[in-house]
Amino acid sequence: MDISQALATAANIMLLGMVCVFVFLGLLVVAINLLAKFCPEEVVPAPAKPTNTNDPLNPDVVAAITAAVHKYRQSRE
Amino acid sequence: MEGLLTLWRDTGLANFELGQMIMMAVGAGLLFLAIARGYEPLLLLPIGFGCILANIPMAGFTEEGGVLWYIYYIGIETGIFPLLIFMGVGAMTDFGALIANPKMLFLGASAQFGIFATLFGAIALNVVPGFEFSLADASAIAIIGGADGPTAIFLASKLAPELLGAIAVAAYSYMALVPIIQPPIMKALTTSKEREIVMEQLRHVSKREKIIFPLAVLFLTILFLPAATPLVGMFCLGNLMRESGVVDRLSSTAQNELINIVTIFLGLAVGSKLSAESFLSVETLGILALGAVAFSIGTASGVMMAKVMGRFSKSPINPLLGAAGVSAVPMAARVVNKVGLEANPHNFLLMHAMGPNVAGVLGSAVAAGILLAIVGG
Repeated sequence: MDISQALATAANIMLLGMVCVFVFLGLLVVAINLLAKFCPEEVVPAPAKPTNTNDPLNPDVVAAITAAVHKYRQSRE
Repeated sequence: MEGLLTLWRDTGLANFELGQMIMMAVGAGLLFLAIARGYEPLLLLPIGFGCILANIPMAGFTEEGGVLWYIYYIGIETGIFPLLIFMGVGAMTDFGALIANPKMLFLGASAQFGIFATLFGAIALNVVPGFEFSLADASAIAIIGGADGPTAIFLASKLAPELLGAIAVAAYSYMALVPIIQPPIMKALTTSKEREIVMEQLRHVSKREKIIFPLAVLFLTILFLPAATPLVGMFCLGNLMRESGVVDRLSSTAQNELINIVTIFLGLAVGSKLSAESFLSVETLGILALGAVAFSIGTASGVMMAKVMGRFSKSPINPLLGAAGVSAVPMAARVVNKVGLEANPHNFLLMHAMGPNVAGVLGSAVAAGILLAIVGG
């Protein structure tokens, strides 16, 4: 196989490969969206309690609450 | 006198060849990187030691019947070790961030451009005298851009076993260098305003979704890309063991004891491939260079994709997240988080970056399957 032919093959694989990866993962996106559509309704009551443990607290919210508490305490003095 | 001479002929000193000494120095260098610098020590330490063992004159570790030969034959030639590692990685992976924001899969997909662009580059390198990469060699080299050690080893063992040592060393070295390679590329392609973008809070993902997810991935792979089922299948098995919650013992074994045991032997087996005759060649230099290129292109295309998506998406997307699309879990996600924090000290991107990060693992497994199907078949 001479070099230009090999390069053409490589370019071909590049195109085909990227299209395949995108199509496949795109299908997965559709699948996940379907999953989300059909799943949560049945499960909603169950996961109520462990919900927030994983989410990092938003520092802005923490700051706002801290300020509010501080202000409240000051106003009570 | 005769006995003394025979003894002398059996010593290492009398039998050393220059190549072996250089390779021992390479092995020592890997040990140094692992121990003193802490670069991927879990792999570079056994690889470095395996490299030294493989180059001992007269010991015959890597000849047929030698212990390293057996380890390589049992674990890598059959593809078992990388697959077991993949199962462990599956058991360690939480897909929650990805299920909450499935768009991130596109970032994982676009980062795979690094792989396919490098494939082209490896073939183009044949123009330079001294390089002779076949299409199979080029594919195995390109997968370094997937930034996924076990995938790279799996594919290399199938397509280009003689290049496996160099490919594995390149893959793991670049994974260790993620914090050095990625940030300049990320910063060059984004404005500081874009880096400050705050992502929306991720929704909660139910347990049922997490259980069905690996099964859905497996199902799609079975339908559309059976060549990727060894990798994806083992990965999904590990993940299902984790998420189902009924086999915690198996899940914990897969992600602790088993993966540790396999890592020892995988490292040794890869090291055994670092013999002088196969490693000391221009091709190795080419592989190292191509690996760096693959990595950089993957990072860049991920970031560019994130920028494009951000323009069309309703919810804001921080383009830095694209860099996490090259698997390298969780290092790439941590790098994204760090660069994001530099731009905006209140913006924690780690959880958001885990989405494209695990998408990258799936993406590179899929890319490996595609390469196997096209080139290997």
